Amino acid sequence: MTSWFVVAAIGGFVGLDTTSFPQMMVSRPLVAGTVTGAILGRPMAGLTVGFIMEAFSLLVLPVGASRYPESGTATVAATAAYVAVAPATLAPGVLVLVLAFALAWEWVGGESVVLLRRANGKLIRKKEGVPARHLEHRHLSAMGLDFVRAAVVAAGGGLIAAAVARWAAPLWDLDPGSTMEVLAVLTATMIGTAVPIFGGVRARRYALLLGLITGVTLAAVAG
Amino acid sequence: MIGAGVQAAVVLRALAIQGSWNYETLTGTGFGFAILPALRALHTDPEALDAAIRRHERAFNSHPYLAPLALGAVIHMEAAGEDPAVIDRFKAALRGSLGTLGDQLVWAGVRPLCLLLALALILLGASWWAAIVVFLCLYNAVHLGLMVWGFRVGLAEGRGVAERLRQTPLSRLRPQIMAAGAFMAGLVIALVVTRGVAAVGEPGPVWTGLALIGVVGGAVWGRNARRAGVAAMMALALVGLLAGALG
Repeated sequence: MTSWFVVAAIGGFVGLDTTSFPQMMVSRPLVAGTVTGAILGRPMAGLTVGFIMEAFSLLVLPVGASRYPESGTATVAATAAYVAVAPATLAPGVLVLVLAFALAWEWVGGESVVLLRRANGKLIRKKEGVPARHLEHRHLSAMGLDFVRAAVVAAGGGLIAAAVARWAAPLWDLDPGSTMEVLAVLTATMIGTAVPIFGGVRARRYALLLGLITGVTLAAVAG
Repeated sequence: MIGAGVQAAVVLRALAIQGSWNYETLTGTGFGFAILPALRALHTDPEALDAAIRRHERAFNSHPYLAPLALGAVIHMEAAGEDPAVIDRFKAALRGSLGTLGDQLVWAGVRPLCLLLALALILLGASWWAAIVVFLCLYNAVHLGLMVWGFRVGLAEGRGVAERLRQTPLSRLRPQIMAAGAFMAGLVIALVVTRGVAAVGEPGPVWTGLALIGVVGGAVWGRNARRAGVAAMMALALVGLLAGALG
């Protein structure tokens, strides 16, 4: 049985790592999904969710104060929901449902970050009268709030996703093989979106071509 | 100037510089939090310490991994007894360039490059933990290396850090990182199309053709392709449920 307190704790650390501390990229969907799966006893399920969510997140860059989806906590929620609902073997219907949920939920996480940043502003203004030496207290309070926010987003999202998937999975009526093929095409498309990050096809055509040749060669060698 | 213990404390606290990010001071409070051990060492008078903290918790922003460069330089200037107004102007001048450089080098360079390497390892059959460990070690070697290097340079150069930054190969490294990233993107694309996503299954000819079209679309349309991909995932979920409900 999934322990949602454990999911909340993982989500809290993942959310903290995204921006507050220490930004070591434990919050990347690939890592967050796989580690969540491993802690819940299903590392390959976590890897599957994390890999696909990572492909969708490659192009999202946290530049400036722009709003962006929080994919780490959404991946923790999706992985926990998948582990809670899906059997030990691959369940394509449940996988699609939790991934679709995560791609919507990552915007809820992003909005909660905006709310937290507004709350931080108030926290700092409210404490203007107290000695500057109390700055550590204000800063650590803000980090504590971020942990709680992320824990609620991850565990709350996981519980909702699990409830939705549990209700909807019996309705799923697409062929598992076809479902996985569509998922694979979507994943490949999202990996293609990494190319513009590095300057685009035209600007990096030689490096890209060399990579393609190396990849085909490695695939042939690896069988 | 300041002892090794204080220096270590500042760099460690710099890992949490974005902990109280807000729309008014941005990472200003975090900057104050990180520089506090050095200010305590430099200002023994409580009133002078309070005044110094107030100055350093004002608005500031930079890429978090390059913030230690600003921290080191400001500590150097504080220790040299520079005019606070000069220090404020220096911080304001530095924040834009540190932000842009970090965004280009790390967020749009090293990070996606390391992630693609991890995806490639998984597609080549490496165990999940090996791919994760390689990614975290490689990425954080750059992350922590950049922070420690920046702090040392800032502490040694003080106000001259901007000139030193221009002489370092950091900004000149960008084209190489971009080329390496494009190479890794090509490699992962080839592995996805020829072998299929490891956990998904074996690619058939129809799948391979569709995946190729998808990859080209993703590479050409970027953000729009991502939006379309998210919409397609939602549509797939809806179709799967409708098929069951109606059928």
